[in-house]
Amino acid sequence: MKRVIVACGSGVATSQMVASKVSRLLRDKKVNAVVDAVDIKSIDTHIKQCDVYIAITAPTKEYPVPILNGIAFLTGIGMEKELDKLINYLK
Amino acid sequence: MELLQSIVNAVLGLGSQIFLPVVMILVGLLVKMKFKDAFSAGLTLGVAFVGMGAIIGFMFGFISPAAEALVNNTGIQLNAIDVGWSPLASIAWAWPYAFILFPIQIVVNMAMIALNKTNTLNVDLWNVWNKILTAVMVVAVSGSVVAAMVVGTIQVIFELWNADLTQKQVQKTTGIPGVSVPHSMMMFAVVLNPFNKILEKIPGLNANIDAQTLKDKIGIFAENHVMGFIIGTLIGFAAGYQPVAAVNLGISTGTALTLFPMVAKLFMVALSPISDAAGEFMKSKFPGREFYIGLDWPILAGSPELWVTAVILVPVMLVFALILPGNNVLPMGGIVNICLVAPLLIITGGNIVRMIILGVLSTPVFLYVGTLLAPTITELARSTGTYDVPAGQMISWAGMEMPVFRYVFSQASDVINGNFIGLILLAVWGGLWFLYVKEWKERNKAL
Repeated sequence: MKRVIVACGSGVATSQMVASKVSRLLRDKKVNAVVDAVDIKSIDTHIKQCDVYIAITAPTKEYPVPILNGIAFLTGIGMEKELDKLINYLK
Repeated sequence: MELLQSIVNAVLGLGSQIFLPVVMILVGLLVKMKFKDAFSAGLTLGVAFVGMGAIIGFMFGFISPAAEALVNNTGIQLNAIDVGWSPLASIAWAWPYAFILFPIQIVVNMAMIALNKTNTLNVDLWNVWNKILTAVMVVAVSGSVVAAMVVGTIQVIFELWNADLTQKQVQKTTGIPGVSVPHSMMMFAVVLNPFNKILEKIPGLNANIDAQTLKDKIGIFAENHVMGFIIGTLIGFAAGYQPVAAVNLGISTGTALTLFPMVAKLFMVALSPISDAAGEFMKSKFPGREFYIGLDWPILAGSPELWVTAVILVPVMLVFALILPGNNVLPMGGIVNICLVAPLLIITGGNIVRMIILGVLSTPVFLYVGTLLAPTITELARSTGTYDVPAGQMISWAGMEMPVFRYVFSQASDVINGNFIGLILLAVWGGLWFLYVKEWKERNKAL
Protein backbone atom coordinates (compact mmCIF):
# COMPACT_ATOMS: atom_id res chain seq x y z
CA MET A 1 0.00 0.00 0.00
CA LYS A 2 1.17 3.53 -0.73
CA ARG A 3 2.26 5.63 2.21
CA VAL A 4 1.71 9.35 2.73
CA ILE A 5 3.53 11.26 5.46
CA VAL A 6 2.58 14.58 7.05
CA ALA A 7 5.29 16.36 9.05
CA CYS A 8 5.07 19.05 11.70
CA GLY A 9 7.26 20.35 14.51
CA SER A 10 6.11 17.83 17.08
CA GLY A 11 4.81 14.99 14.92
CA VAL A 12 1.74 15.07 17.14
CA ALA A 13 -0.81 17.82 16.82
CA THR A 14 -0.85 19.65 13.49
CA SER A 15 0.52 16.77 11.45
CA GLN A 16 -1.85 14.27 13.05
CA MET A 17 -4.76 16.64 12.51
CA VAL A 18 -3.93 16.85 8.80
CA ALA A 19 -3.18 13.11 8.64
CA SER A 20 -6.54 12.20 10.20
CA LYS A 21 -8.34 14.56 7.87
CA VAL A 22 -6.54 13.28 4.77
CA SER A 23 -7.27 9.66 5.75
CA ARG A 24 -10.95 10.48 6.11
CA LEU A 25 -11.01 12.29 2.75
CA LEU A 26 -9.23 9.39 1.04
CA ARG A 27 -11.55 6.85 2.64
CA ASP A 28 -14.56 8.83 1.36
CA LYS A 29 -13.07 8.73 -2.15
CA LYS A 30 -12.32 5.00 -1.74
CA VAL A 31 -8.58 5.48 -2.16
CA ASN A 32 -6.44 3.05 -0.19
CA ALA A 33 -3.35 4.51 1.48
CA VAL A 34 -1.65 4.80 4.85
CA VAL A 35 -1.34 8.36 6.15
CA ASP A 36 1.15 8.89 8.99
CA ALA A 37 2.05 11.93 11.06
CA VAL A 38 5.79 12.29 11.63
CA ASP A 39 8.18 14.65 13.40
CA ILE A 40 9.79 17.11 10.96
CA LYS A 41 13.06 16.85 12.88
CA SER A 42 13.31 13.26 11.62
CA ILE A 43 12.06 13.97 8.10
CA ASP A 44 15.19 12.69 6.37
CA THR A 45 14.54 9.23 7.84
CA HIS A 46 10.82 9.16 7.06
CA ILE A 47 11.08 10.52 3.52
CA LYS A 48 12.80 7.30 2.39
CA GLN A 49 9.74 5.26 3.29
CA CYS A 50 6.94 7.27 1.72
CA ASP A 51 5.32 7.97 -1.65
CA VAL A 52 3.99 11.46 -1.00
CA TYR A 53 5.03 14.12 1.51
CA ILE A 54 2.47 16.63 2.78
CA ALA A 55 4.44 19.58 4.17
CA ILE A 56 3.20 22.08 6.76
CA THR A 57 6.28 24.27 6.27
CA ALA A 58 7.95 24.97 2.93
CA PRO A 59 10.71 22.37 2.44
CA THR A 60 14.24 23.77 2.29
CA LYS A 61 15.67 21.04 0.11
CA GLU A 62 14.78 18.69 -2.72
CA TYR A 63 13.14 15.37 -2.00
CA PRO A 64 12.65 12.40 -4.33
CA VAL A 65 8.87 12.29 -3.72
CA PRO A 66 6.08 14.70 -4.66
CA ILE A 67 5.34 17.37 -2.04
CA LEU A 68 1.90 18.80 -1.29
CA ASN A 69 0.82 21.87 0.65
CA GLY A 70 -0.48 20.84 4.09
CA ILE A 71 -1.72 24.31 5.01
CA ALA A 72 -4.52 23.86 2.47
CA PHE A 73 -5.91 21.01 4.56
CA LEU A 74 -5.80 23.18 7.70
CA THR A 75 -7.47 26.28 6.29
CA GLY A 76 -9.67 24.53 3.71
CA ILE A 77 -8.50 27.04 1.07
CA GLY A 78 -7.32 25.18 -2.05
CA MET A 79 -7.91 21.86 -0.33
CA GLU A 80 -9.79 20.19 -3.19
CA LYS A 81 -6.92 20.92 -5.57
CA GLU A 82 -4.32 19.42 -3.24
CA LEU A 83 -6.57 16.41 -2.63
CA ASP A 84 -6.95 15.81 -6.38
CA LYS A 85 -3.18 15.96 -6.82
CA LEU A 86 -2.74 13.54 -3.93
CA ILE A 87 -5.21 11.04 -5.42
CA ASN A 88 -3.35 11.29 -8.73
CA TYR A 89 -0.03 10.50 -7.08
CA LEU A 90 -1.56 7.52 -5.31
CA LYS A 91 -2.92 5.92 -8.50
CA MET B 1 -30.33 16.74 43.02
CA GLU B 2 -28.61 14.48 45.49
CA LEU B 3 -29.13 11.57 43.14
CA LEU B 4 -27.62 13.54 40.27
CA GLN B 5 -24.65 14.47 42.46
CA SER B 6 -24.03 10.86 43.39
CA ILE B 7 -24.29 9.75 39.74
CA VAL B 8 -21.76 12.43 38.74
CA ASN B 9 -19.43 11.41 41.56
CA ALA B 10 -19.75 7.76 40.66
CA VAL B 11 -18.85 8.48 37.02
CA LEU B 12 -15.88 10.67 38.03
CA GLY B 13 -14.81 7.98 40.46
CA LEU B 14 -14.34 5.60 37.55
CA GLY B 15 -11.15 7.47 36.62
CA SER B 16 -10.31 9.55 33.60
CA GLN B 17 -9.64 6.57 31.34
CA ILE B 18 -13.31 5.55 31.63
CA PHE B 19 -14.94 8.92 32.26
CA LEU B 20 -13.43 10.77 29.30
CA PRO B 21 -14.16 8.15 26.63
CA VAL B 22 -17.80 8.20 27.78
CA VAL B 23 -17.90 12.01 27.46
CA MET B 24 -16.15 11.76 24.11
CA ILE B 25 -18.65 9.26 22.72
CA LEU B 26 -21.55 11.47 23.85
CA VAL B 27 -19.99 14.62 22.34
CA GLY B 28 -19.29 12.68 19.14
CA LEU B 29 -22.91 11.58 18.85
CA LEU B 30 -23.96 15.18 19.57
CA VAL B 31 -22.01 16.46 16.55
CA LYS B 32 -23.63 13.67 14.50
CA MET B 33 -20.77 11.21 14.20
CA LYS B 34 -21.74 7.62 13.41
CA PHE B 35 -21.88 5.50 16.58
CA LYS B 36 -19.10 3.27 15.28
CA ASP B 37 -16.78 6.28 14.75
CA ALA B 38 -17.74 7.96 18.02
CA PHE B 39 -17.12 4.72 19.92
CA SER B 40 -13.75 4.26 18.24
CA ALA B 41 -12.73 7.88 18.98
CA GLY B 42 -13.80 7.56 22.61
CA LEU B 43 -11.96 4.32 23.11
CA THR B 44 -8.84 5.79 21.46
CA LEU B 45 -8.90 8.51 24.12
CA GLY B 46 -9.00 5.89 26.86
CA VAL B 47 -6.12 4.03 25.21
CA ALA B 48 -4.14 7.29 25.08
CA PHE B 49 -4.61 7.82 28.82
CA VAL B 50 -3.59 4.33 29.81
CA GLY B 51 -0.69 4.43 27.33
CA MET B 52 0.60 7.71 28.73
CA GLY B 53 0.34 6.32 32.27
CA ALA B 54 2.31 3.25 31.23
CA ILE B 55 5.20 5.33 29.83
CA ILE B 56 5.23 7.57 32.92
CA GLY B 57 5.45 4.45 35.07
CA PHE B 58 8.23 3.09 32.86
CA MET B 59 10.10 6.41 33.12
CA PHE B 60 9.89 6.63 36.90
CA GLY B 61 11.19 3.07 37.05
CA PHE B 62 14.64 4.21 35.91
CA ILE B 63 14.62 7.93 36.66
CA SER B 64 13.71 7.71 40.38
CA PRO B 65 16.78 5.67 41.30
CA ALA B 66 18.91 7.89 39.05
CA ALA B 67 17.64 11.06 40.75
CA GLU B 68 18.38 9.48 44.13
CA ALA B 69 21.89 8.48 43.04
CA LEU B 70 22.38 12.04 41.73
CA VAL B 71 21.64 13.41 45.21
CA ASN B 72 23.98 10.93 46.87
CA ASN B 73 26.76 11.55 44.36
CA THR B 74 26.60 15.35 44.01
CA GLY B 75 24.27 16.70 46.69
CA ILE B 76 22.12 18.19 43.93
CA GLN B 77 18.49 17.56 44.79
CA LEU B 78 16.05 17.97 41.92
CA ASN B 79 12.76 16.34 42.88
CA ALA B 80 10.50 17.56 40.11
CA ILE B 81 10.97 15.54 36.92
CA ASP B 82 10.28 17.58 33.79
CA VAL B 83 8.00 15.33 31.76
CA GLY B 84 7.36 17.76 28.91
CA TRP B 85 4.05 18.76 27.41
CA SER B 86 2.37 15.49 26.49
CA PRO B 87 1.72 14.12 30.00
CA LEU B 88 0.61 17.63 31.02
CA ALA B 89 -1.96 17.59 28.23
CA SER B 90 -3.43 14.34 29.50
CA ILE B 91 -3.57 15.66 33.06
CA ALA B 92 -5.39 18.73 31.75
CA TRP B 93 -7.90 16.62 29.80
CA ALA B 94 -8.52 14.52 32.89
CA TRP B 95 -9.92 17.52 34.75
CA PRO B 96 -13.69 16.88 35.05
CA TYR B 97 -14.65 20.33 33.65
CA ALA B 98 -12.17 20.25 30.76
CA PHE B 99 -14.70 19.93 27.96
CA ILE B 100 -16.45 23.17 28.97
CA LEU B 101 -13.50 25.13 27.58
CA PHE B 102 -14.40 23.90 24.08
CA PRO B 103 -17.69 25.84 23.81
CA ILE B 104 -16.07 28.79 25.62
CA GLN B 105 -13.35 29.12 22.99
CA ILE B 106 -15.78 28.69 20.09
CA VAL B 107 -18.43 31.09 21.42
CA VAL B 108 -15.96 33.79 22.52
CA ASN B 109 -14.14 33.64 19.17
CA MET B 110 -17.35 33.85 17.13
CA ALA B 111 -18.71 36.70 19.26
CA MET B 112 -15.46 38.64 18.86
CA ILE B 113 -15.52 38.18 15.08
CA ALA B 114 -19.16 39.25 14.93
CA LEU B 115 -18.31 42.38 16.98
CA ASN B 116 -15.15 43.08 14.94
CA LYS B 117 -12.95 42.65 18.01
CA THR B 118 -10.66 40.20 16.24
CA ASN B 119 -9.76 39.14 12.71
CA THR B 120 -8.61 35.67 13.69
CA LEU B 121 -10.77 32.58 13.44
CA ASN B 122 -8.98 30.03 15.59
CA VAL B 123 -9.56 26.59 14.07
CA ASP B 124 -6.82 25.10 16.24
CA LEU B 125 -9.14 23.41 18.71
CA TRP B 126 -6.45 20.97 19.79
CA ASN B 127 -4.85 23.70 21.87
CA VAL B 128 -8.00 24.20 23.90
CA TRP B 129 -6.00 22.15 26.35
CA ASN B 130 -3.73 25.18 26.91
CA LYS B 131 -6.76 26.96 28.36
CA ILE B 132 -7.66 23.87 30.39
CA LEU B 133 -4.17 23.76 31.91
CA THR B 134 -4.43 27.44 32.91
CA ALA B 135 -7.89 26.80 34.33
CA VAL B 136 -6.73 23.91 36.52
CA MET B 137 -3.92 26.09 37.85
CA VAL B 138 -6.43 28.78 38.74
CA VAL B 139 -8.51 26.20 40.60
CA ALA B 140 -5.39 25.06 42.45
CA VAL B 141 -4.75 28.61 43.70
CA SER B 142 -8.25 30.01 44.21
CA GLY B 143 -10.35 26.86 44.59
CA SER B 144 -12.97 28.31 42.28
CA VAL B 145 -14.14 26.65 39.07
CA VAL B 146 -15.93 29.87 38.09
CA ALA B 147 -12.69 31.86 38.41
CA ALA B 148 -11.00 29.18 36.28
CA MET B 149 -13.56 29.63 33.51
CA VAL B 150 -13.21 33.42 33.71
CA VAL B 151 -9.42 33.23 33.36
CA GLY B 152 -9.83 30.66 30.56
CA THR B 153 -12.07 33.15 28.75
CA ILE B 154 -9.55 35.97 29.29
CA GLN B 155 -6.85 33.75 27.82
CA VAL B 156 -8.94 33.07 24.70
CA ILE B 157 -9.35 36.83 24.18
CA PHE B 158 -5.66 37.68 24.66
CA GLU B 159 -4.57 34.84 22.39
CA LEU B 160 -6.76 36.16 19.58
CA TRP B 161 -5.55 39.73 20.06
CA ASN B 162 -1.96 38.55 20.06
CA ALA B 163 -2.61 36.55 16.86
CA ASP B 164 -3.98 39.71 15.21
CA LEU B 165 -1.01 41.82 16.34
CA THR B 166 1.62 39.38 15.11
CA GLN B 167 -0.11 38.25 11.90
CA LYS B 168 2.05 40.34 9.57
CA GLN B 169 5.27 39.15 11.17
CA VAL B 170 4.04 35.53 11.01
CA GLN B 171 3.30 35.97 7.32
CA LYS B 172 6.74 37.48 6.76
CA THR B 173 8.46 34.65 8.67
CA THR B 174 6.51 31.73 7.17
CA GLY B 175 5.56 33.10 3.78
CA ILE B 176 2.02 31.77 4.33
CA PRO B 177 -0.67 34.39 3.70
CA GLY B 178 -3.93 34.62 5.62
CA VAL B 179 -2.91 32.73 8.73
CA SER B 180 -2.07 33.76 12.29
CA VAL B 181 -0.84 31.94 15.40
CA PRO B 182 -3.14 32.23 18.42
CA HIS B 183 -1.14 29.62 20.36
CA SER B 184 -0.71 30.54 24.02
CA MET B 185 3.09 30.12 23.87
CA MET B 186 3.28 33.28 21.76
CA MET B 187 2.08 35.31 24.77
CA PHE B 188 5.55 35.07 26.31
CA ALA B 189 6.58 37.69 23.73
CA VAL B 190 4.76 40.25 25.93
CA VAL B 191 7.45 39.74 28.58
CA LEU B 192 10.30 39.52 26.04
CA ASN B 193 9.36 42.73 24.25
CA PRO B 194 11.03 45.39 26.48
CA PHE B 195 14.27 43.38 26.66
CA ASN B 196 14.26 42.93 22.90
CA LYS B 197 13.86 46.72 22.55
CA ILE B 198 16.95 47.28 24.68
CA LEU B 199 19.03 44.76 22.70
CA GLU B 200 17.95 46.34 19.43
CA LYS B 201 19.71 49.51 20.55
CA ILE B 202 23.06 47.74 20.96
CA PRO B 203 25.06 47.91 17.72
CA GLY B 204 26.69 44.74 16.44
CA LEU B 205 23.88 42.43 17.58
CA ASN B 206 22.18 42.43 14.22
CA ALA B 207 24.74 40.26 12.49
CA ASN B 208 23.51 37.95 9.76
CA ILE B 209 24.07 34.29 10.50
CA ASP B 210 23.40 31.44 8.12
CA ALA B 211 20.98 29.53 10.30
CA GLN B 212 20.16 26.94 7.63
CA THR B 213 23.71 25.58 7.46
CA LEU B 214 23.94 25.55 11.25
CA LYS B 215 20.62 23.74 11.48
CA ASP B 216 21.74 21.05 9.06
CA LYS B 217 24.78 20.48 11.29
CA ILE B 218 23.20 20.46 14.75
CA GLY B 219 19.53 19.73 13.97
CA ILE B 220 19.99 16.05 14.84
CA PHE B 221 20.35 16.99 18.52
CA ALA B 222 16.74 18.17 18.54
CA GLU B 223 15.44 14.70 17.61
CA ASN B 224 13.69 13.14 20.59
CA HIS B 225 15.65 9.92 20.82
CA VAL B 226 19.05 11.61 20.37
CA MET B 227 18.27 14.34 22.91
CA GLY B 228 16.87 11.82 25.38
CA PHE B 229 19.92 9.61 24.99
CA ILE B 230 22.36 12.46 25.63
CA ILE B 231 20.51 13.88 28.65
CA GLY B 232 19.95 10.43 30.17
CA THR B 233 23.60 9.43 29.73
CA LEU B 234 24.78 12.73 31.26
CA ILE B 235 22.48 12.26 34.25
CA GLY B 236 23.80 8.71 34.58
CA PHE B 237 27.42 9.84 34.73
CA ALA B 238 26.56 12.70 37.10
CA ALA B 239 24.83 10.15 39.32
CA GLY B 240 28.06 8.14 39.47
CA TYR B 241 26.80 5.21 37.33
CA GLN B 242 29.25 2.86 35.60
CA PRO B 243 29.57 3.63 31.85
CA VAL B 244 27.34 0.72 30.75
CA ALA B 245 24.64 1.67 33.27
CA ALA B 246 24.87 5.33 32.22
CA VAL B 247 24.45 4.45 28.54
CA ASN B 248 21.54 2.21 29.48
CA LEU B 249 19.91 5.11 31.29
CA GLY B 250 20.48 7.18 28.15
CA ILE B 251 18.75 4.66 25.91
CA SER B 252 15.85 4.29 28.34
CA THR B 253 15.41 8.07 28.48
CA GLY B 254 15.53 8.20 24.68
CA THR B 255 12.82 5.53 24.65
CA ALA B 256 10.52 7.49 26.96
CA LEU B 257 10.96 10.73 25.00
CA THR B 258 10.29 8.91 21.71
CA LEU B 259 7.20 7.13 23.04
CA PHE B 260 5.55 10.21 24.62
CA PRO B 261 4.70 11.91 21.32
CA MET B 262 3.68 8.57 19.78
CA VAL B 263 1.05 8.12 22.45
CA ALA B 264 0.13 11.83 22.46
CA LYS B 265 -0.78 11.39 18.79
CA LEU B 266 -3.66 9.20 19.92
CA PHE B 267 -5.25 12.17 21.70
CA MET B 268 -5.24 13.98 18.39
CA VAL B 269 -6.63 10.97 16.52
CA ALA B 270 -9.52 10.88 18.99
CA LEU B 271 -10.20 14.63 18.97
CA SER B 272 -9.67 15.31 15.28
CA PRO B 273 -13.21 14.51 13.99
CA ILE B 274 -14.76 16.78 16.61
CA SER B 275 -12.33 19.64 16.14
CA ASP B 276 -12.77 19.35 12.36
CA ALA B 277 -16.54 19.51 12.67
CA ALA B 278 -16.31 22.50 15.02
CA GLY B 279 -13.91 24.33 12.67
CA GLU B 280 -16.20 23.77 9.69
CA PHE B 281 -19.15 24.95 11.77
CA MET B 282 -17.38 28.21 12.70
CA LYS B 283 -16.29 28.89 9.13
CA SER B 284 -19.81 28.24 7.82
CA LYS B 285 -21.22 30.95 10.12
CA PHE B 286 -19.30 33.75 8.40
CA PRO B 287 -19.60 33.14 4.65
CA GLY B 288 -17.72 35.67 2.53
CA ARG B 289 -16.04 37.27 5.53
CA GLU B 290 -12.25 37.47 5.23
CA PHE B 291 -10.24 36.60 8.28
CA TYR B 292 -6.99 35.04 9.31
CA ILE B 293 -7.19 31.35 10.04
CA GLY B 294 -5.59 30.76 13.43
CA LEU B 295 -3.27 27.73 13.33
CA ASP B 296 -1.01 25.87 15.73
CA TRP B 297 2.66 26.90 16.13
CA PRO B 298 4.23 24.27 13.76
CA ILE B 299 3.66 26.56 10.80
CA LEU B 300 6.72 28.38 12.23
CA ALA B 301 8.77 25.17 12.32
CA GLY B 302 10.28 25.80 8.88
CA SER B 303 12.50 28.55 10.31
CA PRO B 304 15.99 27.18 10.93
CA GLU B 305 16.57 29.96 13.52
CA LEU B 306 13.97 28.28 15.71
CA TRP B 307 15.79 24.94 15.83
CA VAL B 308 19.29 26.37 16.12
CA THR B 309 18.27 28.49 19.12
CA ALA B 310 16.36 25.58 20.68
CA VAL B 311 19.42 23.30 20.49
CA ILE B 312 21.79 26.00 21.81
CA LEU B 313 19.49 26.60 24.79
CA VAL B 314 19.51 22.92 25.86
CA PRO B 315 22.85 22.98 27.71
CA VAL B 316 21.90 26.42 29.03
CA MET B 317 18.82 24.99 30.72
CA LEU B 318 20.77 22.03 32.11
CA VAL B 319 23.43 24.28 33.65
CA PHE B 320 20.83 26.67 35.08
CA ALA B 321 18.94 23.71 36.57
CA LEU B 322 22.10 22.67 38.43
CA ILE B 323 23.23 26.09 39.66
CA LEU B 324 20.09 28.18 40.19
CA PRO B 325 19.30 28.45 43.90
CA GLY B 326 15.79 27.20 44.63
CA ASN B 327 15.33 25.33 41.37
CA ASN B 328 13.77 21.92 41.87
CA VAL B 329 13.21 20.87 38.24
CA LEU B 330 15.29 18.18 36.54
CA PRO B 331 14.98 19.11 32.84
CA MET B 332 14.13 16.26 30.48
CA GLY B 333 10.95 16.04 28.42
CA GLY B 334 10.64 19.79 27.98
CA ILE B 335 14.28 20.58 27.38
CA VAL B 336 13.83 21.46 23.70
CA ASN B 337 12.01 24.59 24.75
CA ILE B 338 9.72 25.39 21.80
CA CYS B 339 7.49 27.52 24.03
CA LEU B 340 10.41 29.92 24.43
CA VAL B 341 11.94 29.88 20.95
CA ALA B 342 8.69 30.35 19.03
CA PRO B 343 7.84 33.70 20.67
CA LEU B 344 11.55 34.63 20.38
CA LEU B 345 11.41 34.02 16.63
CA ILE B 346 8.46 36.39 16.19
CA ILE B 347 9.46 39.17 18.61
CA THR B 348 13.02 39.42 17.23
CA GLY B 349 11.87 38.96 13.64
CA GLY B 350 14.22 35.96 13.36
CA ASN B 351 17.40 37.66 14.58
CA ILE B 352 19.32 34.71 15.92
CA VAL B 353 21.79 36.67 18.07
CA ARG B 354 19.02 38.40 19.99
CA MET B 355 17.07 35.12 20.14
CA ILE B 356 19.95 33.41 21.89
CA ILE B 357 20.70 36.27 24.31
CA LEU B 358 17.04 36.68 25.28
CA GLY B 359 16.69 32.88 25.43
CA VAL B 360 19.54 32.57 27.93
CA LEU B 361 18.16 35.43 30.03
CA SER B 362 14.64 34.00 30.20
CA THR B 363 15.39 30.30 30.69
CA PRO B 364 15.42 30.73 34.53
CA VAL B 365 11.83 32.00 34.33
CA PHE B 366 10.75 28.66 32.92
CA LEU B 367 12.65 26.69 35.57
CA TYR B 368 11.28 28.77 38.44
CA VAL B 369 7.68 28.62 37.22
CA GLY B 370 8.19 24.88 36.69
CA THR B 371 9.41 24.64 40.30
CA LEU B 372 6.54 26.73 41.70
CA LEU B 373 3.88 24.76 39.84
CA ALA B 374 5.32 21.27 40.42
CA PRO B 375 3.30 20.57 43.61
CA THR B 376 0.08 21.66 41.87
CA ILE B 377 0.74 19.55 38.79
CA THR B 378 1.70 16.52 40.88
CA GLU B 379 -1.36 16.86 43.10
CA LEU B 380 -3.52 17.11 39.99
CA ALA B 381 -1.98 13.99 38.47
CA ARG B 382 -2.64 12.09 41.69
CA SER B 383 -6.17 13.40 42.30
CA THR B 384 -7.37 12.76 38.75
CA GLY B 385 -5.80 9.33 38.99
CA THR B 386 -3.91 9.99 35.77
CA TYR B 387 -0.47 8.93 36.98
CA ASP B 388 1.17 7.19 39.84
CA VAL B 389 3.88 9.58 40.95
CA PRO B 390 6.15 7.94 43.57
CA ALA B 391 6.12 9.53 47.04
CA GLY B 392 8.75 12.21 47.52
CA GLN B 393 8.85 12.95 43.80
CA MET B 394 7.01 15.42 41.67
CA ILE B 395 6.36 16.03 38.01
CA SER B 396 6.48 19.35 36.23
CA TRP B 397 7.15 20.92 32.86
CA ALA B 398 10.29 23.00 32.41
CA GLY B 399 9.30 24.49 29.07
CA MET B 400 5.73 25.50 29.78
CA GLU B 401 3.83 27.84 27.47
CA MET B 402 3.14 31.32 28.77
CA PRO B 403 4.69 30.70 32.22
CA VAL B 404 4.33 34.33 33.28
CA PHE B 405 0.70 34.74 32.19
CA ARG B 406 -0.24 31.51 33.96
CA TYR B 407 1.54 32.43 37.15
CA VAL B 408 0.23 36.02 37.25
CA PHE B 409 -3.37 35.18 36.43
CA SER B 410 -3.61 32.21 38.79
CA GLN B 411 -2.17 34.33 41.62
CA ALA B 412 -4.52 37.19 40.76
CA SER B 413 -7.54 34.86 40.88
CA ASP B 414 -6.89 34.48 44.60
CA VAL B 415 -8.44 37.92 45.02
CA ILE B 416 -11.79 36.16 45.50
CA ASN B 417 -10.35 34.79 48.74
CA GLY B 418 -9.27 38.26 49.88
CA ASN B 419 -5.67 37.87 48.75
CA PHE B 420 -4.74 41.02 46.85
CA ILE B 421 -1.02 40.49 46.19
CA GLY B 422 -1.70 38.91 42.81
CA LEU B 423 -3.34 42.13 41.65
CA ILE B 424 0.02 43.92 41.81
CA LEU B 425 1.49 41.28 39.48
CA LEU B 426 -1.54 41.68 37.26
CA ALA B 427 -1.01 45.45 37.07
CA VAL B 428 2.64 44.96 36.03
CA TRP B 429 1.58 42.46 33.39
CA GLY B 430 -1.07 44.90 32.14
CA GLY B 431 1.64 47.52 31.73
CA LEU B 432 3.77 45.11 29.71
CA TRP B 433 0.78 44.27 27.49
CA PHE B 434 0.19 48.00 26.87
CA LEU B 435 3.81 48.45 25.71
CA TYR B 436 3.53 45.32 23.60
CA VAL B 437 0.43 46.51 21.74
CA LYS B 438 2.12 49.87 21.11
CA GLU B 439 5.23 48.13 19.75
CA TRP B 440 3.30 45.98 17.26
CA LYS B 441 1.14 48.85 16.05
CA GLU B 442 4.36 50.72 15.31
CA ARG B 443 6.01 47.72 13.64
CA ASN B 444 3.01 46.72 11.57
CA LYS B 445 3.10 50.07 9.79
CA ALA B 446 6.48 49.09 8.35
CA LEU B 447 5.66 45.44 7.64
